[in-house]
Amino acid sequence: MEDIVQHLTPLLKEVSGYIFPNEIELHWGLLIVLYPYLTGLVAGAFILASLVKVFNVKELQPTYRMSLLTALAFLIVAPLPLLGHLGHPEKSYEIFLTPNTSSAMAMFGFVYAWYLMAVLLLEIWFDYRKDLIMWSRKEKGLMKWIHKLLSLFSSDVSEKAIRFDKKSVRVITIIGIPSAFLLHGYVGFIFGSVKANPFWSSVLMPIVFLFSAIVSGIALVLLIYMIVTPMRRKPIDMLCLNKLASYLFYVMIIDFSLETLDFIHRVYESEESIHIISELVSGKLFVSLVVIQVLIGMLIPLGSIAAAKIFKLPDELKKLIYFVAAILVQMGIFSTRWNVVIGGQLFSKSFRGLTTYKMTFFGLEGFLVSFIILIMPIVILYILFKLLPPWDEARQQVT
Amino acid sequence: MISYWKKIPEQAKRLVVLAAILLAVFLVVRPQLVPPDFGELGHFRASALQDIVAQPIRYAGHEVCTDCHEEVAEKKGNSYHRNVACEVCHGPAAVHIEEEETDMLRIPRGRDFCIVCHEYLSSRPTGFPQIVSESHNPMKSCITCHNPHDPTPPEKPKDCAGCHASIARSKMVSHHVYVPCVRCHDAPDEHFTNPRMYHPTKPTKREFCGGCHASDDPSVAGIPQVDIDSHGERYVCWQCHYPHLP
Ligand code: HEC
Ligand code: HEC
Ligand code: HEC
Ligand code: HEC
Ligand code: HEC
Ligand code: HEC
Ligand code: HEC
Ligand code: HEC
Repeated sequence: MEDIVQHLTPLLKEVSGYIFPNEIELHWGLLIVLYPYLTGLVAGAFILASLVKVFNVKELQPTYRMSLLTALAFLIVAPLPLLGHLGHPEKSYEIFLTPNTSSAMAMFGFVYAWYLMAVLLLEIWFDYRKDLIMWSRKEKGLMKWIHKLLSLFSSDVSEKAIRFDKKSVRVITIIGIPSAFLLHGYVGFIFGSVKANPFWSSVLMPIVFLFSAIVSGIALVLLIYMIVTPMRRKPIDMLCLNKLASYLFYVMIIDFSLETLDFIHRVYESEESIHIISELVSGKLFVSLVVIQVLIGMLIPLGSIAAAKIFKLPDELKKLIYFVAAILVQMGIFSTRWNVVIGGQLFSKSFRGLTTYKMTFFGLEGFLVSFIILIMPIVILYILFKLLPPWDEARQQVT
Repeated sequence: MISYWKKIPEQAKRLVVLAAILLAVFLVVRPQLVPPDFGELGHFRASALQDIVAQPIRYAGHEVCTDCHEEVAEKKGNSYHRNVACEVCHGPAAVHIEEEETDMLRIPRGRDFCIVCHEYLSSRPTGFPQIVSESHNPMKSCITCHNPHDPTPPEKPKDCAGCHASIARSKMVSHHVYVPCVRCHDAPDEHFTNPRMYHPTKPTKREFCGGCHASDDPSVAGIPQVDIDSHGERYVCWQCHYPHLP
């Protein structure tokens, strides 16, 4: 009791207007911001990889495997913020044992499992199978056995078998695109279906989430490609980079139009919540929404990529612009998630007052844990790169 | 059957076997892990009800306190705090009523406790006694002036703002700032000490506002005038103008 009192008293001072007593403290904090951010990166990276296979975008070949591994690394971490937030992670498997079909949140386990097992792991496995076999034939010691195990002790590298691999990858990618849409559309659905919250409740929500996911995924792969390639002392493939930037640009345009559409729709509808929402947007969310999300995270990257394309700048300058733009886009998408999750809870259901969010540093919901969760996929990705080198020169010829 | 199996590519076979193993493990493990009484009554474990029933009772309820603390209970029963249960302030007391000599309850003597309920918040209902703790007799413990079991203020509140802070604040910044509350509400003295029993009056007719706003009396110069017969004629004025912030 004393703890709660001490915790809530300073928050009360930040409250403005009329709020209900149980609205002082937000129920969903930083961890829940991370969750749509991470799943968005997964879906985005995967859809980028699919472009290579389904639409045969040859220029993007160097990033194909990288995108798949990125998606995997982030997918492994994606449920952690949820588990941390709910408490009792040791009980999480129970949602698989006794599926509750009437709960959208409980069904996430199945969406996730489907995506992980039936799509991502399978696609990676088929794509790497031949290389795993060839690597394990050459290697010694631990690595040999790891690769053997990963290939499930498969050994058939006949032309027919490899053709089958290729075909499987295509089929899985075709199933995978709707699955990736499902994975992230689902996250938008969770928010969009909260009827009581006018900031969330919108049919556009899953779609806006999806496109911002693709934006963030492409930007992430672009960043990883630009960081990892020089670290391996290899030249950056300018064709590939330009293509990535172009796709980033196009998807951002779509994302931006959707968000604008959503905005216009809300303003035109002018439901009774519009006053408090405009107070929110012009007040507590001004920096994170108008400045970071729209200006820094959307307009500046859009403008600079467009400038890089139109003025035919030298490659070195282009690289710099792409790199900075991709970082800004990440900031922008992160604050998009922040604005949805935190912003959606800042105003009272009475539509007459605003509360506040104070981040803690320690504790399960604190900054530190979130930071660690954000670092984890990068560590996992490093290990994956070691185990399953995605570089072209690592591809083995059948000998 | 066997010839069919042979036609499947080698790698697919391995996946099929792996999937079969996973499925088998799932099928074997699931019945072990799902409690046998799951689903009997709903999407939960039926025996969870017994578990919950078996949890220790922590609260004793406010009636039993009367047995031993008659004086306090009686005092509180006739005070403003009559509807605030003892254990809200003193914490769960189930053990205390069994081991009253050893299990001493919490006694919240600090200022920060009372303001959980009494700090000014515009969402609290009208008339609920609220203070701004920073300016209400700061640095002194509340219980030096208010007996927690009978918190009647040592003197009656000086003005309506003591209990109607939100209305008073609105009015303070409104056009009606110089119109005193009692010009529109006849408040009996008892309303200050027993507000729920004695209610002040409220204006009921359009003509009441018309007294200042639709008057030929030159003494009301400076007050904006309307034609009471044509201005919003089918409604009372406060259906359109909030009287405390017109
Ligand atoms: C069986 C009799 C009995 C019952 C029932 C009982 N109490 Fe007590 N209580 C005592 C005794 C005896 C003391 C210690 C007397 C003293 O030291 O003044 C005490 C002391 C207290 C104190 C003071 C503790 C302190 O540190 O000085 C509080 C507060 C209190 N009781 C609250 C309650 C509340 C609230 C209830 C009802 C849930 C309750 N009691 C029910 C017998 C009882
Ligand atoms: C609004 C909060 C509040 C409520 C409700 C409340 N108390 Fe108290 N009680 C206090 C505080 C504060 C003190 C300390 C008073 C002091 O130190 O002067 C106290 C002191 C006591 C004491 C010990 C000192 C004394 O005055 O004898 C007893 C016994 C006690 N309360 C019993 C009860 C019982 C029984 C009830 C329910 C009938 C009750 N209290 C309801 C706040 C409360
Ligand atoms: C659980 C909430 C709660 C707590 C804690 C609480 N009170 Fe109260 N208080 C009330 C309620 C309810 C009333 C009655 C309001 C009414 O009559 O409308 C009240 C009435 C009062 C009044 C009477 C105001 C009037 O109308 O003249 C005073 C003074 C007061 N409390 C002081 C205190 C003090 C001092 C404390 C701390 C020891 C305290 N309260 C703790 C709920 C609480
Ligand atoms: C120095 C003595 C003193 C202290 C300390 C004190 N009060 Fe008061 N309190 C009064 C007086 C006198 C009034 C009535 C006059 C007024 O409204 O200011 C009052 C009025 C109130 C009222 C408003 C109800 C009403 O009838 O106007 C509440 C609620 C209240 N006090 C709660 C508290 C709380 C909570 C604390 C501790 C944070 C506290 N008081 C500390 C003397 C005190
Ligand atoms: C001790 C606290 C207190 C003070 C001081 C106080 N009131 Fe009230 N007032 C209340 C409470 C509590 C209610 C709610 C009564 C209810 O709902 O039954 C109320 C209700 C009212 C109502 C509405 C009555 C109704 O029928 O809806 C009016 C009007 C009002 N007060 C005016 C005033 C005015 C004017 C003053 C100053 C001259 C004043 N009050 C001072 C506590 C107070
Ligand atoms: C210009 C006249 C006027 C003045 C001045 C005025 N009131 Fe009122 N008040 C009204 C009218 C008219 C209503 C009735 C509204 C209704 O019935 O919806 C009302 C209703 C109320 C109510 C009950 C409804 C509610 O909103 O909670 C309270 C309490 C109240 N007034 C308190 C006050 C207090 C306290 C003041 C001084 C700070 C004050 N009033 C000043 C005209 C006035
Ligand atoms: C005691 C006389 C008096 C009474 C009774 C009175 N008013 Fe007023 N009213 C005033 C004064 C004085 C002003 C402020 C003029 C100024 O701002 O200079 C005012 C201003 C207003 C305004 C604001 C006009 C503007 O300039 O926007 C409105 C609306 C209003 N009153 C409505 C009402 C209503 C409704 C009632 C009945 C509940 C009412 N008044 C009762 C004296 C009164
Ligand atoms: C149907 C809604 C409605 C009702 C009922 C109503 N008003 Fe108004 N009132 C308005 C609107 C809208 C305005 C502002 C536009 C205007 O000046 O006509 C206004 C303006 C006023 C003004 C400001 C005029 C000025 O010159 O600035 C006063 C004073 C006023 N009303 C008093 C009253 C009084 C007194 C009553 C009850 C007899 C009343 N009103 C009833 C809607 C209403």
